[in-house]
Amino acid sequence: MTVDLNKLHAVGAIAEAAEGKWGMVIDMDLCTGCQACVAACAMENNIPYVEEEDAGYGRSMHWIRTERFWEGEYPEVKISGYQPMLCQQCGKAPCEPVCPAFATVHSQAEQLNLQVYNRCVGTRYCANNCPYQVRSFNWRDYQDSRVRPEITILANQFNPDVTVRRRGVMEKCTFCIQRIHKAQDKAKSEGREVEDGEFTTACAQACPANAITFGRIDHPESLVSQLARSPRAEHHLEELGTLPRVTYLKEG
Amino acid sequence: MVKRFFEWVIGPMGRIAVVIVGMFVFSLAAFGVYQTQQNPKPQPIQFPHNLHVGLGIQCLYCHPGASKGPSAGLPTISKCWGCHQQIAKTQTSPKLKPLLDAMTNGTNFVWVPVAKVPEFVHFNHRPHIAAGLNCENCHGDMTKVTIAENPQVMNMGWCLNCHRQRAGDDEAKLTKLTDCGTCHY
Repeated sequence: MTVDLNKLHAVGAIAEAAEGKWGMVIDMDLCTGCQACVAACAMENNIPYVEEEDAGYGRSMHWIRTERFWEGEYPEVKISGYQPMLCQQCGKAPCEPVCPAFATVHSQAEQLNLQVYNRCVGTRYCANNCPYQVRSFNWRDYQDSRVRPEITILANQFNPDVTVRRRGVMEKCTFCIQRIHKAQDKAKSEGREVEDGEFTTACAQACPANAITFGRIDHPESLVSQLARSPRAEHHLEELGTLPRVTYLKEG
Repeated sequence: MVKRFFEWVIGPMGRIAVVIVGMFVFSLAAFGVYQTQQNPKPQPIQFPHNLHVGLGIQCLYCHPGASKGPSAGLPTISKCWGCHQQIAKTQTSPKLKPLLDAMTNGTNFVWVPVAKVPEFVHFNHRPHIAAGLNCENCHGDMTKVTIAENPQVMNMGWCLNCHRQRAGDDEAKLTKLTDCGTCHY
């Protein structure tokens, strides 16, 4: 992490949390914008599809999306490369202190930002305070076959390790915490530590260009830590002091 | 003001209003009870746990998932039949008729799960067994019940109570065992 904590006046738990545990590196040189990560994430995490009407209101639900930006003034524009954007699992997350129901909490054990669905009352304050705009809200019972009969067949492919969210709750990327737990459980049953590269998130697994790498950022020898030390590394909106755990390798 | 309201209440319109409000409150209460206090569906077979445990059958024989993964599992019909085909009483007993029908006519029955947690809770049996807990610590003494029933309400306070006790003074263990993300994701 290249953030100068002294500049942020970080004290106590925040300074300790700054190191983090799980992290991700996304190489924007390698990303081809194929959206395989978006599809894989939706399959893994039971993310519903919203239909045309709701999508028109900007209610599309994705935990990861590929962004592109125009640079310059029209018509002399240059289109930037693809940039997968997902929850940055901030060490000092703007979404957390604003939740009135404590549904958006920081996991002390895994150093992740969690959304506790059964606590969430749907004020959407967290999404409005998220500088990365990566939280999505369930405006309807998208996954309830009583509301949407066409979902009945799709319900057979739900991932049983992930909650199917109901109407009125916020949801977000969890760094595939169900896979983290599964790997930890397996490692513990075999009496060892989780090895680097033993498991990965759904997006990283699906990426055909290997642009996404996931692992422990507090282990300096892990692949993700080595990649994060690259001179191309940058963090998005780092100046806000959010301590993001996702490192982007900008186009060289 | 209060007096005028009282006069309106004892008048004809007031009485109708009182009855409507009363019916509304009653129906709300009835709906609440209907939603939360229903008895579980009856089991297809009045399964006597006490008899089977008394015969010396281990819990893990019929619920083998408990030591391996998240779900302990409920036995399949063929697992029941593995023992019961050798028992003469299976052919005659009216209580075992669903099992006999299932094996001879191909009809099916499914057990009704008793110990269930809500969908937003991800419980895993394996670490609990690995931590040295026995089945009866949570599910009660099966030598004393016929159809399994929950000896306690499995709510979060009950989980956390045990987690805090077992973590003791171990700070790292307490953090892990009381972390929201351990069960809710």
